[in-house]
Amino acid sequence: MTRTSRLGAALVLAAAVACAGSGCAVIPVGGPFPVEEAGGGDLSKPFQRMIAVSPRDDWSPQQVVQGLQAAMAAYADDPEVLPGYLTGEAAKTWRPDGPVTVIGNTPKYEYVGKGDGKEVRIRLTGTPVARIEDDDTYVPISGAQPQRIDFLLLQNEQGAYRVTSMEGGSGLLLTQDDVSRAYRPTSLYYLAGPPGVADPATDRRLVADRVRLRVKPTENFAETIVRRLLQGPSRALSGAVGSVFPQGLSVRSVRSADDRVVVNLSGPIDAGGVFADGLKAQLKWSLNANNVANGRIIEVQLDGEPFFSSEALTIPAILREEWLDNDVRPAYYTSKGAVHSLNDDGAGNAVQGPAGQPGETYTNLAMSGGGDLIAGKHQGGGGIWVTRVAPDGRWEQWIPGNELTAPSWHRDGTLWTYDKAAGAVLRCDVTAGRGPERVAAPGLDNLDVTRLRIARDGVRVAVTIGENQVMIGAITSGAGATMLGNFQTLTTVKDEEIRDIAWRDGERLLVLVQSNAVQSVREINIGDGETTQLPTGNKGLKSLTALSDRVLAATQDGGEVLEFKRESQAWTSKVESDADSPLFPLG
Amino acid sequence: MPPPKTKRFRRRTLRQILGGVRRRARRAAGTVRRVWRRSLQLQVVTSTLVISVTVVVVLGVFLSDQINKSVITGRQDAAAGEAFADRVQIADALNQELDDQAKPASGKNAPADPLDAVMETITGSGDDGSKKRYEVLILNPASPGRSRASGNVMPANVPEPLQQWLHRQVEKVPNDKPYLHKAYIKFTGESQSRLTLVIGGLVSVDGGATYEVYHFFPFSEEEQMLSNVRLAIVVVGFGLVLLLAAIASLVTRQVVSPVRLARQAAERLASGKLDERLRVRGEDDLARLAASFNEMAGNLALKIHQLEELSQVQRQFVSDVSHELRTPLTTVRMAADLLYDAREDFEPMAARSAELMQAQLERFESMLADLLEISRYDAGAATLDLDSVDVRDVVLRAIGDSEALAERHNTRFELRLPNEPCMAEVDNRRVERILRNLLFNAIEHGEGKDVVVTVGADRDAVAVAVRDHGIGLKPGEETLVFDRFWRADPSRARTIGGTGLGLAISREDATLHGGWLQAWGQPGEGTQFRLTLPREAGADLKGSPLSLVPPEIEMRRTWRGQMTPVLLPATGDGAGHDED
Repeated sequence: MTRTSRLGAALVLAAAVACAGSGCAVIPVGGPFPVEEAGGGDLSKPFQRMIAVSPRDDWSPQQVVQGLQAAMAAYADDPEVLPGYLTGEAAKTWRPDGPVTVIGNTPKYEYVGKGDGKEVRIRLTGTPVARIEDDDTYVPISGAQPQRIDFLLLQNEQGAYRVTSMEGGSGLLLTQDDVSRAYRPTSLYYLAGPPGVADPATDRRLVADRVRLRVKPTENFAETIVRRLLQGPSRALSGAVGSVFPQGLSVRSVRSADDRVVVNLSGPIDAGGVFADGLKAQLKWSLNANNVANGRIIEVQLDGEPFFSSEALTIPAILREEWLDNDVRPAYYTSKGAVHSLNDDGAGNAVQGPAGQPGETYTNLAMSGGGDLIAGKHQGGGGIWVTRVAPDGRWEQWIPGNELTAPSWHRDGTLWTYDKAAGAVLRCDVTAGRGPERVAAPGLDNLDVTRLRIARDGVRVAVTIGENQVMIGAITSGAGATMLGNFQTLTTVKDEEIRDIAWRDGERLLVLVQSNAVQSVREINIGDGETTQLPTGNKGLKSLTALSDRVLAATQDGGEVLEFKRESQAWTSKVESDADSPLFPLG
Repeated sequence: MPPPKTKRFRRRTLRQILGGVRRRARRAAGTVRRVWRRSLQLQVVTSTLVISVTVVVVLGVFLSDQINKSVITGRQDAAAGEAFADRVQIADALNQELDDQAKPASGKNAPADPLDAVMETITGSGDDGSKKRYEVLILNPASPGRSRASGNVMPANVPEPLQQWLHRQVEKVPNDKPYLHKAYIKFTGESQSRLTLVIGGLVSVDGGATYEVYHFFPFSEEEQMLSNVRLAIVVVGFGLVLLLAAIASLVTRQVVSPVRLARQAAERLASGKLDERLRVRGEDDLARLAASFNEMAGNLALKIHQLEELSQVQRQFVSDVSHELRTPLTTVRMAADLLYDAREDFEPMAARSAELMQAQLERFESMLADLLEISRYDAGAATLDLDSVDVRDVVLRAIGDSEALAERHNTRFELRLPNEPCMAEVDNRRVERILRNLLFNAIEHGEGKDVVVTVGADRDAVAVAVRDHGIGLKPGEETLVFDRFWRADPSRARTIGGTGLGLAISREDATLHGGWLQAWGQPGEGTQFRLTLPREAGADLKGSPLSLVPPEIEMRRTWRGQMTPVLLPATGDGAGHDED
């Protein structure tokens, strides 16, 4: 007994000493220990909202109209306040449907006049800036006349003014600030190629679809993105891109778990037969491109269960596979009609084959995606000729015609051009053994198409109409046949001339514009028309080409090739003399 | 009538159940109380438990309170600081707004409205902003489009009392004092409400507008942490109490176990096991207690042994004396017989002497016989010579032996014998001697009144009661009568020459049979002796077929008890209960 009790006492003493010892240090030091990685980052960025307040009886008619406009800005979050600004009659008929009109900040409010007794008319004048369509596309409007909307107000029994009708505008009216507060420019990614036509497994490429999504206070932004992604592409890309998500699929939740983001889907999807790589790519890029779930594993669940019945579908934090394909590829330029490669330190060697031989016969050269074919317009009016970049290559006529636009390669190896004489888009698929074929393009009928450029994603098409309009379309599949459709005007210039266009990637188009004395290079986001002006040097530019972050230009005189440096926002000379038309494969 | 029956049945059942429960509870309480009183260990452990629980609860509450205070105060201070900084920023921005209203917005991405700009800074919703821990609500219900919120905060989320308080403050001149309110708030799109600290303050702009600024700080993490701390304190406290109880139990057991062993040893010692000893281990107090106990037990055993030896010597002495006295007595007796036979030839005086000598010699002889007999008992040498006899016959023989004496005392016997034989396995000679002794005793003290002899029998036992109506016994004398040489009234002379050992020998005889010999007496009511013997020798007696108290006395006693207030006719029951 004594021995055990002694042992017990010793143990108790040891425990007490240990406790007291550890109690001395508030936070014990030591390490290194492995750390459990808790979920970092949030699924939404912080945002602020307009809070709509109910109208007061002592407000002036102008204040009531201002309040109504603010209530419109907050309508999606709190739809109960807005009807309070309207008379009972108007509240019944008013609908928030239709496109959202975006006007410039600080619109003008003015009394237009008093009606009989209790009626007051307030006029809102604002510059229309854009329109947000039902499919969330942001359509900028430039150079439009100021919009006037007349609000008719009526004084009720309490002496308070309420709006009875709006003339000159319908639906929601938001200012630019309202939009920047509540909407986020968002890129959604779809699989290139018309849905169901091309085998998605062969052409592994994503196409960006830019929309403006409204931030919802009740759900995180990741959920909003996925919800919109499942709805399918906007009108600009309908019929041109595919999606692995079938109709009727819905998102239950997108939440942050320990080290991953869990996307919980629900609906009719064949987990066994789905193109899993495409699903991963679509989700991964749609979330990551919008700064959501960057560097985190994404797990896809179906009805809260693992996606495949046996195992989970996870998208690693770093997806090695390249779905946007914007690799740095060698740049080329022509010197006296011969194609040379452009090295880092300037001029390079001429390419092999006839394209490397000096001559003035072929202009408007274009290089295919693999870099093995060069197409050019025959100066003599003999159509489009193509040669292989090889010692044994020789020029062959692919497309005959006298009034063809410059050739443009598609990533699938086909060569495209526009025949101005026939007013038709031509495509030549030599690998399939087919000569030039007409491709239907209903949107271009009776238009003066001067340039046709197919984007590197193989879906978007940019055309210039005359010298002052740029339109963007897509290669779609109508009734089984390939066609060009969904044309929309991207930009129109007045008193200026469009000199050249060049695709940077699937989303951004460079436009070289020449006015009387000033030249400008505009980078336009084709999704929402967001325009960035690139500075131009004092040297006049003649042509442009671009690939991702590299932008090359040829000067009008002096035969220089310049490269735009983003860091210094300036053009530097790459080839000092005898140089002409830089070119990248595709684009 | 079934319904009332069931009702009554049910009511009775309920009462029974209640009664049963109460009984059981009382019994359990009794058991607990008994266990509590008997167990020193339980008492010590219980007191330790009570004291430690009190201390742990007090300490735990204090500790928890301190931690709560420091955590919440710290967090509140930090929150108030952040809210203050934000309000200052908002006030600056809104006052600038008045100055620069005409100026157009300079930056491309900067919002035109300073309210938007300041909200972007505060909430981190700008391009390079980072998420804040809290949400902000700026409310200006008096102007259109001048209210903003971050996250999912709605004006309805502001606690009503806080808003009312702020509205009251609007009227006061220095209204820059913020107020805080803690509440469970259910935000839009959330499934459950969470603890939130709301700080509300007013921002007045020079133009006269007043903005209500509310900051919502989530407190769920703090709440979670404090609840974890509390849980830890409770668990640790519980563990501590258990540990203390276990320690107390262990320590008491170390002390109580030897004491319990000592108690058990003392009990065994008391029950006669004189060689019981405690084991002595170590040199502590308990070891010394054990040593003292052992010494005490040794001394006691020695003393008892000495006393036993002394007693043995005395008994031997008496036996030896009795034996030794017989030889001279025989000679004296022969001489006395000669003298007695020739007494008629003597002078009257000498003749009378011879008669006296003869009588006293007889008495001396019988006394000597009795002494020898009793010393045989003392030596444990008495044996039974068993025989199956009818006790009625034995009684009749004894009465026959006593008749001569009864006639001399004008005493008559009243016999109450059952008709059936009362067979029992007894030593005929000894039982006859007992009965003879009882009858002689009754005649001697019966003062000439009738002596009643009753025989009774049941399945296990037979009994004989001898009742006289003499002076009776005083209280307490019922046991003394069986003592050797005891006499009720020392002044009274023995008329029938009893030796004073008869009843003692009779008692020994009855005990030898495994039976009882008991006496009852009351002054003026006479005496009754009852002999109860088992039908089979050595069987345990459970009761006697006859009552120790005579039936008439019993009847009278019952009668008196019932008749005290009113005179009632005698029931004549007479069936007295057996007091044994």
